[in-house]
Amino acid sequence: MESANPTINFFLNEGVPFETVILILMLPIIATFIAFLRQVVGIKAFGIYTPLLITFAFLATNGLKYGIVIFLAVILSGMLLRFILKPLRLLYLPRVAIMLSLVALIVLLMLTLGGNLRRTGLASVSIFPILIMITLVEKFVAVQIEKGNKTAIILALETLLISIVGFYLASWEALIRIIVAEPWLVLLTLPINFFLGKWTGLRLSEYLRFKEILKKQ
Amino acid sequence: MFDLLKNSTGVLGMNARNLDYIRPNNLLEAKKLADNKLLSKKILKKNDLPVPQLIAKIKSRDDLEKFDWQALPETFALKPNRGFGGEGILIVYGKKKPARPSATMAFRADNGFALGDEGGNHQDTWIKADGSLITVADLKSHIQNILDGSFSLSNTPDIAFFEERLQLLKLFKPYSFKGIPDIRVVVFNKVPVMAMLRLPTKESGGKANLQQGAIGVGIDMASGITTTAIQGKNKFVEQILNTRLTLSGIKIPYWKDILTLAVKSQEISNLGFLGADIAIDKERGPVILELNARPGLSIQLANRAGLRERMERVAGLKIKTIEKGVRVGMDLFGGEIQEELEEISGRKVIGTVEKVKLVGKEGKEIEVEAKVDTGAYSSSIDTDLAIELGFSSVLNYFSSLDVPRDFSRENVKIIEADLRKKYIGTHPDLADIVIVYSSTGSTIRPKVNLTFVLESVAITTQVNIIERAELSKKMIVGKKNLNKFLIDVSKNEGKNSRG
Repeated sequence: MESANPTINFFLNEGVPFETVILILMLPIIATFIAFLRQVVGIKAFGIYTPLLITFAFLATNGLKYGIVIFLAVILSGMLLRFILKPLRLLYLPRVAIMLSLVALIVLLMLTLGGNLRRTGLASVSIFPILIMITLVEKFVAVQIEKGNKTAIILALETLLISIVGFYLASWEALIRIIVAEPWLVLLTLPINFFLGKWTGLRLSEYLRFKEILKKQ
Repeated sequence: MFDLLKNSTGVLGMNARNLDYIRPNNLLEAKKLADNKLLSKKILKKNDLPVPQLIAKIKSRDDLEKFDWQALPETFALKPNRGFGGEGILIVYGKKKPARPSATMAFRADNGFALGDEGGNHQDTWIKADGSLITVADLKSHIQNILDGSFSLSNTPDIAFFEERLQLLKLFKPYSFKGIPDIRVVVFNKVPVMAMLRLPTKESGGKANLQQGAIGVGIDMASGITTTAIQGKNKFVEQILNTRLTLSGIKIPYWKDILTLAVKSQEISNLGFLGADIAIDKERGPVILELNARPGLSIQLANRAGLRERMERVAGLKIKTIEKGVRVGMDLFGGEIQEELEEISGRKVIGTVEKVKLVGKEGKEIEVEAKVDTGAYSSSIDTDLAIELGFSSVLNYFSSLDVPRDFSRENVKIIEADLRKKYIGTHPDLADIVIVYSSTGSTIRPKVNLTFVLESVAITTQVNIIERAELSKKMIVGKKNLNKFLIDVSKNEGKNSRG
């Protein structure tokens, strides 16, 4: 990289792979982006951790489409299994353990099917992104129990949306170039988050929700 | 756009709720109290505030094994201590009468219980809201689930408790599906700032929880009369689905007591920003169900008003007593919406003179202009009009009666009672006899049953018959028949000047 900042070169010379450096520097940006979506726009998703991890899982799969396919498969089987397991009235952890196991098997089945259909891209997705997405099930089940199916699906779709945008953000050439040239810019996320942490204004979603009252005033 | 931003401060959003109101006002200790139903119940009770009576609590498997099922009353509610969203609550409406001996024997044999056990303590059966039966074994397995934490999200072990089942108030019966409605009052700085009536619906499965599809109806803080409503998180409604029950205009009984309870519970719980849930029991009156340290924001939609604006108005006030706090809340946040009274109270606004359609004895309809007079108690009609309506027979009969002409005011009650005793029932149309005072002196009048239609509201009532020939209007509508209306004295001005 001809325009790389000395700091970046230092990391590279010490033997940290370029990909890894970029991904780690992207993490604060995506985390800030998710915090912004929550506090200002009002997109909840499954907290901050899950969409962040899913974004990185997407970055690590061979192309976004397989990531999305696996994500949807996990959510769908999670929903289906809940209906099957509900009448059994099991305690929480054993129930989630059963779900994780069955979802894992379903994903394995899907990968095999992908290989069978000569979709080698799907079959050769590495294990870590798959594991990350399987853990999504626990989050999904927790919300399902607390807030119901509808909310869980909405939050899952919001998570998917954020992760897709995060994926494009993190693989955006221009942004990568800026970070390579001026890595200190990443520190700007700190004051931005400080501002977000003190933000008490209405979220965009709340403008929508309370529009009847706002109009009246 | 600028206007929108400026006005938006009136509405309380999630960010401001958490940062500006919950964090500085609700300390960890207080939040813990609110989240623990048994603890808050105990502390409220210690301070003499009404709470549902605790019947028994079960803390462990050991407690469960030793529990005396005979000690349970016929009706009760079984709840998890740290349940959320009404999950895990089981309500029992009655105990099943013991079955006939032969049936009992068969039942016992089937279930492997010892025969000849006269106590029958394992045969007790209760009835749930939907009419299905629940046995001791069912209760046991439900309690086991509570203890294991099946109804607390992170699987933390919980405590189960039995408490008295509150009885539904007759007034709320048509409005609620299965469960019991409650009133959420948001209290800030000792002032009740906003309230809503939460009605369980079919969609919410009988739970008074908006998230699950219950109805929230806004309440005018001064009068305790319901205004506008919302179902679920953001659906505006006016009536209950599939019924013609209007949600506005319900007068909440014990209104001031409810506000007082809410403020008291704030003082005791130390929650600066509190949502108190208060139900009304048929016999006991208002009872505090639960305290909430993180009240939801939908109450704003139910009331079509912003919480933030209201809380900012009371933020700096020094409220010394509970009574003062209640009064400030009622004064500041009531009756702001007078121009929409008709819409919100469900009552029609009428003028001082209105067209009224009278339905006579043989179904004959006569339309007259009537004077709306809140100075009169009952409605009255002119003699000529009464004859037109077919009441000549009763009038003739009444004039033939021997009624006293001169009497002193002291004797009125006695004479009235005497006349009633003597003559009511002697003529089919004579509904009552009353003595009425007016500017021209006291008169004894007959009353008849009559139906009339005012602003398309049909009213059946008893009206006086009197000689009103010299007056311009042939009918007076009195206070007694005006409870469905609001009177606007300026309403007929235009009409009169034209006429």
